[in-house]
Amino acid sequence: MPRSLWTGALSFGLVNVPIALFSAARDLDVHFHQLHEPDGARIEVRRFCAKEDAEVPYEEIRHGYELDSGKQVVLTDADLEAVAPRRTRTIEIASFVDAEELDPILFDHPYWLVPTGEAEGPRRAYRLLTDAMEDAGRVALGRFVLRSKEYLVAVRPRDGLLALTTMLFPDEVRPTKDIDAGGRKPAKASLDQAVKLIEALGQDFDPTNYADEHRKRLRKVIKDKQKDRTIEAPEQDDEPEPPQDLMAALKASMKELAKAR
Amino acid sequence: MPRSLWNGTVAFGAVAVPIKLYSAVEAKTVHFHEVHLEDGARIEHRTFCSKEDEEVPREEVVKGYELSNGRWVIVDKEEIDAAGGSRSRIIDVEHFVPVADIDPVHYAKAYFLGAREEGAAAYRLLHDALERTGRAAIGRFTFHQREYLVAIRAYERVLALHTMRFADELVAPGDLDVPRRARKPDAKEVKMAERLIDALHEPFTPGRLHDEYREAVLAAIEAKAKGEDLEPGPAPDTEPPDDLLAALRASLDDNKKPKARKKAKAKAKAKPKKAKAKA
Repeated sequence: MPRSLWTGALSFGLVNVPIALFSAARDLDVHFHQLHEPDGARIEVRRFCAKEDAEVPYEEIRHGYELDSGKQVVLTDADLEAVAPRRTRTIEIASFVDAEELDPILFDHPYWLVPTGEAEGPRRAYRLLTDAMEDAGRVALGRFVLRSKEYLVAVRPRDGLLALTTMLFPDEVRPTKDIDAGGRKPAKASLDQAVKLIEALGQDFDPTNYADEHRKRLRKVIKDKQKDRTIEAPEQDDEPEPPQDLMAALKASMKELAKAR
Repeated sequence: MPRSLWNGTVAFGAVAVPIKLYSAVEAKTVHFHEVHLEDGARIEHRTFCSKEDEEVPREEVVKGYELSNGRWVIVDKEEIDAAGGSRSRIIDVEHFVPVADIDPVHYAKAYFLGAREEGAAAYRLLHDALERTGRAAIGRFTFHQREYLVAIRAYERVLALHTMRFADELVAPGDLDVPRRARKPDAKEVKMAERLIDALHEPFTPGRLHDEYREAVLAAIEAKAKGEDLEPGPAPDTEPPDDLLAALRASLDDNKKPKARKKAKAKAKAKPKKAKAKA
């Protein structure tokens, strides 16, 4: 059973709902550990004071911040907690917005909010908020601090629970003005043809259609290595050339597609 | 001009669109480094062999995968990279899906794609066609020898590329220890909650929102630099209400006169006992 990452209150108007935060994503990556080659023992990372050249216990480590003047300011965990106790202990819903207004560029990490405790009152408040948001078709916008970083969050009903997505602040998204956005506006005929091809290659999004092939290949590499087989790096395919005649390439693609079906 | 992270080609059908990859985000978190409390000196991370209890030079550190029997398989970087496949410069588009179909839980990291000179027309065509259809191209993208599932869609005047979480990486409610669901709320309560949602409904205005905690942290650093002590602010009120309906009603009243917030809060706290029998 996954462990909760944070507990606090979801506050909505004057209603507080005690909740626990769980990650909605699990790490299925193939993980490696660092080993010492000569004896195969695990590597440990130890913290040393650069000045004294001596190991430092974790309790003696603080957060340093260097000012422009070169002077250093040292803060403790308690200092950071004191900065915004409200933000570190509550997820405060400030407004409700329409889901379509949130651009996916802002989305960061998904979580679940689960009511804590067996008491009837908080669980009812949780259910009420979930049901009312479902009916209203709106998303709650709030903010809170997790691991010393403040996030904008979207809270919405999903499968009878409240789902939370941390989001970037809009000023953390880089401007696109310096990125090359390509040529002139395409001719209507090419655009129509491109739209046709896209629709022909169209599908509903079904996430279960996709598996992590990289994970499989990496597992195979490990298995091969275990059996002392040689692992060959695959030859890299060349990048295809951009077409000289876009319209012809679009039409050829449509033809290929019709043939394949 | 921002620096590109990767060059490659988006390919769909017989159309190849050469692109450059740029990072789309720049987190504005205040960064600290670890320091030693006693002397303020920097903390260094040193690698030690757990068996010999001795510091180990970087060259002697290798990557190992632990098998279920406790044994290790040592794999070097080239071998791990071999799992990256043969399409490290090509993003093959498998199909196009409606952007609105993609649940937010799938979006992982965002990048921007820029056009390359030799394919400017193809880039613009793909952008405009994606914008018109409201679709995203779904494909595979290999970055730093690791393959990702990606969605490419029109964002402003450029293409955005999102790495995506796979379905098996998502945690379902059934995987969690969720307490028993409360009974269905009364119609009156739902109505009141919906009124409150309506009252708090507003257009999303990104320009207004920024990281206030960051500012508070910077202010705290400044205060500390002047030798001031940091006083913790008042702890927030996180008590659940005894009377849900009364709290909702008070919230609605409160929202009408935002300046009287504190007062209404005190009132809501004082009131609840009355209707307890009903709750």
